[in-house]
Amino acid sequence: MEFYGYPRPDGKVGTRNYVALVPSTGCVNNLCSDLEHLVRGTKALRHDQGCLHPPRDTETVTQTLINLGLNPNVGGALVVALGCEMVKAEEIYEGIKASGKPVEMVVMHEIGGMINTMSTAMHMLVDLVSSVSHARREKADISKLVMGTKCGSSDTSSGLSANLVTGEVCRMLTEQGGRFIQGEICDIMGGEYALKKLAVNPEEGEKIVDYVRDLYMRGLAMGADTRGCQMTAGNVAGGLTTLVEKALGANAKGGQVPIQGALGYGQLVPDAPGRYIMDFPGHGFENLTASAAGGATVHLFTTGRGADTGHPIMPTVKICGNAKTNKTMAEHIDVDVSAVIDETETPDQAGERVLEYMLGIASGRLTKCEILGTESMEILIRGPVI
Amino acid sequence: MAKSAKQINPKDNVATLLADCASGEEVTVNMDGKVSNYACLEDTSYGHKIALVEIAKGEPIVKYGETIGSATKDIKVGEWVHIHNVRDDYLCLDKYGKPLPGQSL
Repeated sequence: MEFYGYPRPDGKVGTRNYVALVPSTGCVNNLCSDLEHLVRGTKALRHDQGCLHPPRDTETVTQTLINLGLNPNVGGALVVALGCEMVKAEEIYEGIKASGKPVEMVVMHEIGGMINTMSTAMHMLVDLVSSVSHARREKADISKLVMGTKCGSSDTSSGLSANLVTGEVCRMLTEQGGRFIQGEICDIMGGEYALKKLAVNPEEGEKIVDYVRDLYMRGLAMGADTRGCQMTAGNVAGGLTTLVEKALGANAKGGQVPIQGALGYGQLVPDAPGRYIMDFPGHGFENLTASAAGGATVHLFTTGRGADTGHPIMPTVKICGNAKTNKTMAEHIDVDVSAVIDETETPDQAGERVLEYMLGIASGRLTKCEILGTESMEILIRGPVI
Repeated sequence: MAKSAKQINPKDNVATLLADCASGEEVTVNMDGKVSNYACLEDTSYGHKIALVEIAKGEPIVKYGETIGSATKDIKVGEWVHIHNVRDDYLCLDKYGKPLPGQSL
């Protein structure tokens, strides 16, 4: 199977062609948003981090922003800095520039104020967008696709339809040489031993169990048993009995596809095809950012009640198995898979339909999130805010 | 038309109801073309599970082909399977298989 994407200097293929506006600190978020509204073809990567973190978090924020710039959906970037933040804008600039993409940088303290910075940035952006927009879509093999997965605003229909369908999409994608990322360590909790069995290398399998232990211990430090926090009253009322049952329903998103490796938050996905588990939380904003930083160029997001969030640079396809939600939240759902619940369509038939739709999205068709602009992002912070 | 329940894996001893079912109502389960009928033993809601075989106290509850918990009572065929007759046995374990602190079953 094939799609039409943007070939990049490093051999990767994008599904979009944006100039990313990369703030090194949340202080310049509004400046980035203003630039996004004024200059066509740009995307602001708003986040509220960048300062007063322990060093490990500063490193995570820096590396995540570099890796977002390296995402093949980004054709060029403008790094926007205040000038006194802990995250070093030069590091982000150099990190993205190493890929061969055009990159510029503005530092508000050096230029002097927001108004002059806007002017300098706009002049830079006009040239950047003109140059980046010269790229043309070319036919690319499906093996060039990297797909993120997640479930949000789930209900009973998720485990019975949308997640099973996603499992089929993941199987078909990896059989053809593609890659996908699965994370949501909170949802894996209880199902980590079942997932570990799917790891091709036992050391990578053990890392998955470690991610769950780390989440449990971080919860314990806050006085919470994260096992209990997972099961909501709504889950129990909806028919979920145990945490393991909930986890297995969530894990079904990756089907029985063998796991090639376990990755830290926002770490770049290796070139080998297959399934990767990443240490990211269930919460949508941090979660989508991790997949995009890992290199995902398209995302399959299953929902039951109708989650509306997508990521600014990674087209996010919503699939839903709840017939009622498909009516009441129609403008947020890309593919209706409720026929799997009615048993008028099998999960693999629906999977084929979703994969075809996704290749259309990868080739330029807009997602509902892109049409309505329901896009957000955040970067995961683990330590205290100082 | 008879109401149906979804069995995900042939090893499963429970199936999930795809509609609310009243006590005594017939439920059809289609596992890869093999169709079986069950009688719902009590009023059970959409999304909840019923037992496909007799499950003795202490035996595992199997869904997705994996153990999801264990029975705290003897469970009859067609009986509602939920938190009132199932225990969640999951513990977060350290590298040596010992439960990490702060947990009880």
